Amino acid sequence: MSVTQHCPVGPAGNVGSSVTYVFAVCGPGRPGPFAATCGHTGGGPLRLLAVGPLWAVVQDVPAVTFSETALHRRLTDAAELERCARAHHDVVTAAAAGGPTVPLPLATLYLSHERATAALGANLERFRAALGRVAGRVEWGVKVYVVESDTTARPAPSAPPETPQPGSQRVSGRAYLSRLRHRQHSRELNRESALAAAEQVDRAVREMAVGSVRHRLHGPEATGRDRTQVMNAAYLIAEERGDELATTIRRLRGSPGFDNIEIEVSGPWAPYSFTDGGELAGHQ
Amino acid sequence: MQGISNPVPWQGPEATAPIGVPLVDLLDRVLGTGVVISGDLVIAIADVPLIRLSLHALLASVSERVPAPWADGGPL
Repeated sequence: MSVTQHCPVGPAGNVGSSVTYVFAVCGPGRPGPFAATCGHTGGGPLRLLAVGPLWAVVQDVPAVTFSETALHRRLTDAAELERCARAHHDVVTAAAAGGPTVPLPLATLYLSHERATAALGANLERFRAALGRVAGRVEWGVKVYVVESDTTARPAPSAPPETPQPGSQRVSGRAYLSRLRHRQHSRELNRESALAAAEQVDRAVREMAVGSVRHRLHGPEATGRDRTQVMNAAYLIAEERGDELATTIRRLRGSPGFDNIEIEVSGPWAPYSFTDGGELAGHQ
Repeated sequence: MQGISNPVPWQGPEATAPIGVPLVDLLDRVLGTGVVISGDLVIAIADVPLIRLSLHALLASVSERVPAPWADGGPL
């Protein structure tokens, strides 16, 4: 069943030249609406496939641009990767607006609708369990950073630390070493207090969450050089508790020991991080 | 899910201006999360070194292009 009539339809209407891209699996209620999203460029309209009592949100996409080799090429291109990720996310988000939704990873592909239905149907119980877990809940991202203060941050990043700055006054070796030790020491202190702050944030948010997951930490290419990420977590929280989360974060930001700590919150997200397990133990 | 139906589904809890979904957070979620079932085409995205390299380049370009939402130390 096609759910988008307003989108430019690519050449993928021809069954022989297309593959089936699966975005998400949704609960028995009708997913969507999908009025504001068209899926991947060059693909056909978004469709709903019945998988037992559940719905899969799929799109026929051109086999030539979604073959394994083509995808490897495209997804290593920064602009293409961003386009694909955003197209995927738009559809997942639209689906989640209609009810419980389990997102699939980027680029889950089948040779035909029938093969997609069979593969999804073979996992029906996993989808049911995941849908039960995420129903009525949303994901929030919480990241914690320590801001490197002037005494601890960067000697010019390109200069090796033991080289005095060009043009600076001659300093005795002993004074220089002492300064270096001092800088090293305060950096360690900074990091320790940042980890303690991250623990505190995690504890506070877990109290209102039913699940939590740690994502990999972002490096300086994403955070900027003047701060270090010490926590990148996702929490599954009842959808009506968003305000409570905001209040908690505000309180934490004003707490003692948070002077050089930044807390960033993103969301609500479709429950990407909680569809296949996640750390649920102890959260019931 | 009233929150999710927001066309710009990202917001700071401080109701700052919507800035769209941060790409770096999006990639954390669309790569390697979700129910993984075997597809007909196996795209092991997160495990392909080339993709990692590309992510690296991508994130570098993202941080240059998009100022951090709290660049002014805003909601802290």
